[in-house]
Amino acid sequence: MKKIKITTAVIAIIVAMGFIPEVTGQSLTGKQIIEKVYNRPTGDDQTSDLTMTLTNKSGNQRVRKIKQFTMDLGDVEKSIMFFLSPADVKNTSFMNWTYESDQGDDQWIYLPALKKTKRISSDSKSDYFMGSDFTYDDLGDRKLEDDTHQLLREETLDGKACYVVESVSKDEDYMYFKTLVWIDKTNFIGVQKEFYDEDEDLLKILSIKEVEKISNIWVITNSEMKNVQKNHRTTIVLSSIQINTGLSASKFTERMMMRGL
Amino acid sequence: MKTKGLILILLLIAGQYTRAQNIDISGFARSYEGILFNTGDFGIVQQTLNLNFEKRGNKVAFKANPMIYLYNADSLDFRMRELYLDLYFDNFDIRIGKQQVVWGKADGVFITDIVSPLNLTEFLLPDFDEIRTGVIATKVNYYFGNSTLEAILIPVFTPTERPPPGSIWYIQPDFPVTPTWDFSREAITPSLESSEVFLKYTALTSAIDFEIMGAYTWDDNPTLHVQKEFGLDPNTQQPILTGLNITPEHHRLAIGGGSFSSEIKGVIVRGEAAYYNGKYFLTEDPLQPDGNIQKDYLHYLVGLDFNLGPVKLSSQFIQQSILNYDDHILNEKTENTMTFLARYDMLRETLHLELFSYIGLTNEDALIRPKITYDFDDSFSILLGSNIFVGDEKGRFGQYGDNSMAYMKIKYSF
Repeated sequence: MKKIKITTAVIAIIVAMGFIPEVTGQSLTGKQIIEKVYNRPTGDDQTSDLTMTLTNKSGNQRVRKIKQFTMDLGDVEKSIMFFLSPADVKNTSFMNWTYESDQGDDQWIYLPALKKTKRISSDSKSDYFMGSDFTYDDLGDRKLEDDTHQLLREETLDGKACYVVESVSKDEDYMYFKTLVWIDKTNFIGVQKEFYDEDEDLLKILSIKEVEKISNIWVITNSEMKNVQKNHRTTIVLSSIQINTGLSASKFTERMMMRGL
Repeated sequence: MKTKGLILILLLIAGQYTRAQNIDISGFARSYEGILFNTGDFGIVQQTLNLNFEKRGNKVAFKANPMIYLYNADSLDFRMRELYLDLYFDNFDIRIGKQQVVWGKADGVFITDIVSPLNLTEFLLPDFDEIRTGVIATKVNYYFGNSTLEAILIPVFTPTERPPPGSIWYIQPDFPVTPTWDFSREAITPSLESSEVFLKYTALTSAIDFEIMGAYTWDDNPTLHVQKEFGLDPNTQQPILTGLNITPEHHRLAIGGGSFSSEIKGVIVRGEAAYYNGKYFLTEDPLQPDGNIQKDYLHYLVGLDFNLGPVKLSSQFIQQSILNYDDHILNEKTENTMTFLARYDMLRETLHLELFSYIGLTNEDALIRPKITYDFDDSFSILLGSNIFVGDEKGRFGQYGDNSMAYMKIKYSF
């Protein structure tokens, strides 16, 4: 069985590059810009189909398909994922509870072959998710105070006027030396993010390809992460997105993990 | 040959029918060959076809899981691992039919995980999803909040499956004289009175997951009741053992236990324990007329799962302890075992290195299982591994010292 250990739902990539369409006329600091990016509305619940395509330097592709549900319960956000393909992980499910407080995530995985729900550690933030170019940390919610943010400049990227903000982790052991994010000044949506490794060399570039407004909420529906050092890339495409459909909290239980879709 | 033909026809019919009914089909085909280090002989030549037929709805679902093992050139073993119907209600589910049930938090050790008996015909070597035997049962799960109450009734008893004589995993019992076997009391007639009952409460919470279980069951392993016959030594005129009548019989067991799992600073801490009331043990006590004595018995485990950089590590300590022990009992008073697992995934999770070991602390023996798996693509993988038995020949693992082997598994999943 392939390893499947996931942090906060993959849908969080859509979160990480954020929203908030309000713009103030006054000049903003790097921290204020990132705060606007992070504090964007996501709805009370979301359902979507996720297709992740991994492409290596030879052009060979591997595809993973996932059905995912998330729900914001105030002090805790719960998500559950059901793996649809490849065949050897089919019917595997994963559940994550992320807390508003500093409490660490709770994570469980259900392995259909073993018929067992296992609590797993949420400690592997630097691991790559299902062999993709996204680490669990890339996919999870990062807290504003985890980094020091500095507005470097303003410039145009792909015809969009952007803020360029540098974020440096306060944790010296963090996997990235720094990140640079280009944020669309008109709607505070991140359009590109660069990740620099511990040697301060460019490691990965995240590009946002498509954004859609669904139920009055902006959602990034197509993004690509490219590892420029290994010439490997991963695209994530979201489809069948539904927001605020009134999901029940009972969806996020061991019962549903075991029952499957 | 007729049986094989019938199975093939049934599978073809099932395939046609499932296509018509839009039933989901998945599974794998696997080729598995192992060579014994000692002799160079093939210890196992096995081809496997595992099929899952599933249809899920909002109120009802079913699953059929036939599995076909072809050993060597012509020995076919067809098993219906699972065949059940699920009924879903608002707060409870019912599962009726042949099913595998897995309880507890232990990995590779069976403490409260006693609902489904084990198939030990290849010792502990099969994948853990294949080592359990399905049981014909009715299972009811009642859900409230993050808790579940589970009740299981098993009207048809299924014992542990042991390796047959002739198998490399068969251990010839050591008797001073050739015994006479009486199997008349081994079978258990299915009835309400002879049914097994299992109960479990499960809670999955932020701080801790735990289970509390109880069972009124049968011992999956038969007790060997021994009647000795004596005669006089013609030379010394002293009484000597001249015969043994052995009657295998399963006995009732009352078992209570529980398990838990929690995360502390990135480390998963697990524990599991079961208390067996009145389990039979073989004894040499002359006051026990049939060679057995009943004792309470404790089986427990503590384990840790953690990461060391990119390497996933897991270790468990297991103790089996006979309470109110007396020195005539053939088993050790306590038997300590450890397990150790290290796993490292490379090349974007296409190359997997793993080392799993059982280490017998009491008998100083071990089963060491290194393996390397490469995924050629998402459906096709090759595994190279080894099962290495070392240590005391009287130990659970050391006794199979001649069965150490290297093996290869090629698997296609669909």
